[in-house]
Amino acid sequence: MKGFTAALLVWALISPSSGGGGGVGETWPTHVACRDGGLEVLYQSCDPLQDFGFSVEQCYKQLKPNLSIRFGIILREDINKLFLDVSLLTQGSSILNLSYPVCEEDFPRFSFCGRKKGEQIYYAGPLNNPRFDIPEGKYQVLLELYNENRSTVACANATVICS
Amino acid sequence: MAPNVSCFLLAVLISASCKVITSSDQMCIEKEANKTYNCENLGLSEIPDALPNTTEILEFSFNFLPTIQNRTFRRLINLTFLDLTRCQINWIHEDTFESHHQLGILVLTGNPLIFMAETSLNGPKSLKHLFLIQTGISSLEFIPVHNLVNLESLYLGSNHISSMKLPKDFPTRNLKVLDFQNNAIHYLSREDMNPLKQATNLSLNFNGNDIKGIEPGAFSSTVFQSLNFGGTFNLSVIFNGLWNSTTRSLWLGTFEDIDDQDLSSAMLEGLCEMSVESINLQKHHFSDFSSTTFRCFTRVQALDLTATHLEGLPSGIEGMNLLKKLVLNVNNFDQLCQINAANFPSLTHLYIKGNMKKLQLGAGCLEKLENLQKLDLSHNNIQTPDCCNLQLKNLQHLQILNLSYNELLGLQSQAFKECPRLELLDLAFTNLHVNTPQSPFQNLQLLRVLNLSHCLLDTSNQHLLAGLPDLWHLNLQGNSFQDGTIPKTNLFQTVGSLEILILSSCGLLSIDQQAFHSLGKMSHVDLSHNSLTSNSISALGHLKGLYLNLAANSIRIILPHLLPILSQQSTINLSHNPLECTCSNIHFLTWYKENLQKLEGLEETVCANPPALRGVKLSDVKLSCGITALGIFFLIVFSFLITILLIFAAKYLLRYKYQHI
Repeated sequence: MKGFTAALLVWALISPSSGGGGGVGETWPTHVACRDGGLEVLYQSCDPLQDFGFSVEQCYKQLKPNLSIRFGIILREDINKLFLDVSLLTQGSSILNLSYPVCEEDFPRFSFCGRKKGEQIYYAGPLNNPRFDIPEGKYQVLLELYNENRSTVACANATVICS
Repeated sequence: MAPNVSCFLLAVLISASCKVITSSDQMCIEKEANKTYNCENLGLSEIPDALPNTTEILEFSFNFLPTIQNRTFRRLINLTFLDLTRCQINWIHEDTFESHHQLGILVLTGNPLIFMAETSLNGPKSLKHLFLIQTGISSLEFIPVHNLVNLESLYLGSNHISSMKLPKDFPTRNLKVLDFQNNAIHYLSREDMNPLKQATNLSLNFNGNDIKGIEPGAFSSTVFQSLNFGGTFNLSVIFNGLWNSTTRSLWLGTFEDIDDQDLSSAMLEGLCEMSVESINLQKHHFSDFSSTTFRCFTRVQALDLTATHLEGLPSGIEGMNLLKKLVLNVNNFDQLCQINAANFPSLTHLYIKGNMKKLQLGAGCLEKLENLQKLDLSHNNIQTPDCCNLQLKNLQHLQILNLSYNELLGLQSQAFKECPRLELLDLAFTNLHVNTPQSPFQNLQLLRVLNLSHCLLDTSNQHLLAGLPDLWHLNLQGNSFQDGTIPKTNLFQTVGSLEILILSSCGLLSIDQQAFHSLGKMSHVDLSHNSLTSNSISALGHLKGLYLNLAANSIRIILPHLLPILSQQSTINLSHNPLECTCSNIHFLTWYKENLQKLEGLEETVCANPPALRGVKLSDVKLSCGITALGIFFLIVFSFLITILLIFAAKYLLRYKYQHI
């Protein structure tokens, strides 16, 4: 058993993936999207290629409609069409799955729709969400933005702690 | 200590193999041999030696090329498409593309360009498309103009451009697309626009610029393919500025995140002084909506009012006789009659999709639209117990009807009698209620395509599809059959002209051998995502040249008598089946290898049994079953030796037994 632990340790030390700084398989740091009024939202990018920046203004247990968010990312795909998938889990069981069209060819909802691969995007504006009361607890949220080819534009593993 | 050492060795081995994987990851992906390569995200600082000289299409985005110069791409003289998105390029030196005569598309999006040499784009004989999006350009003088005679599209979005004044000598004759999205252009002068008069059918994009002024006459007597002023705060500026211009398509919509002024009828007056075929006003608020709001839309042929917060359209709108296409998606209607369809007698295309409220279809709300050919009423939560003759009254010319993603429709016999010319009917994901002997689609003589996927249909109704003599494409995905079986007598007996049949995800366990007997013309059968075994293949015995999808079923063993049926088809997908890779399936496995060119999804067609071969691709399996000639020889020799041995043993035993006598 000792040997196994030692081997793991050695492997952890010498393996290229955990050395930090650009290795394949590196995990991105966990960021705080907001920490306020009894609500804490943490997120981590699950796109192996890049991290992104996200923050929510005014985070309360009673989520206001049309929350203001800030979002910064480099696009790795064109986004003429962009879809958001959200799945919400608590204690390992799924409680909500939804898919929302953000940009469609016949209905670009946001000003950033239609931007091209390689563009850097900074969005500060409303989210167009409904009013929502979050019951107390800890939630896992998986968010994925993807285009018409199902290529990932952004992916986030978020944790919502409501106390 | 010994286990520690071995573990350490193991660890070194694992990490070493990781390194091998990462270094082999550094290879570009070949998409088409000797022609198309993808080297994205590899952090390369030069063109890899492994790329052949014949490369024509190179996707090289997200690498590292601070300086590009004459020698950077010299070897790849056949390049026609080069994508250098986000390669951190600062400098493009003299004659970088000197030898690239074929280069037609160059993408430089997202590079922090400091300087492009005067001759940096010289070389290509016909550079047609140039992407300089988000490259930090603040003046168009930055772009070297010497070799842009053949340029058809120039993308300059997300830069710091405040004036669209083109440099002197900028060739515009062949220009079709000039894209200034998300820049800081606030004023358009006559002088700016003059050079563009040479271009014919130009598309100009000023989306995200917030134009605050246009010099009167700047656009006058010029013909544009399309003009986009999306997200402009004050639209009257645009309408006044476009005085005396001609545009096929004018996009004036706004967005969720943009503050804009409400649209008043007075603002739209400017439209009287210009010629526009198609206009988009998505997401705007109208401050005083009345029958005169559209006074100047007399020549408009297509109007898009997606998400304009409408609860109805006023009656008595005059002069919209020419309107052919009307889009009213994502609005707030309660009832279909609230759109006052009688205003638009020439309408051929009507889209009311994704209404924010539950939409009532009412009775005869569209009856004045005698010319209507296409009607989209999808995603509207429509619920009606008796559809659709009253609702679609008098739509004699309707060819395409989309009622998908609604709630519940009750259909009687001849439910679409009012639209006898229907060619395509989409009812996917709408719960349909049809009583058993009824034939709702009866007399749709011209219907070619019918999508009934996920309609919760009663498939035991043998008359369901009666009266569809021309039906060519039928989608029944996600409906269930009684006992998971398609019996000998079934609903397909009335649709003999069917060529495409989709029965995926129908929970099927078996198909009767005679079930598809009346379907002799089929060319595409999708039976994927069911629980079928190989026995069901015999239902296809009378068909040839099929595209046959049997993916994700329960096929284990395919017996030899079924193989001729597979052989006579053109493409077969057997992926994601629990296929048996033992000698009991040897005939199929042999057939599989001989017919690889017919098979689709080879990577996902793997063995499930025996455990030793689980996950191995069928095409890689090598089994030797039965006895070979050499085996027979050895067997004979071996049994011969055993026989001799036995004889000798018997002899010895006998001698031993009787020597005492």
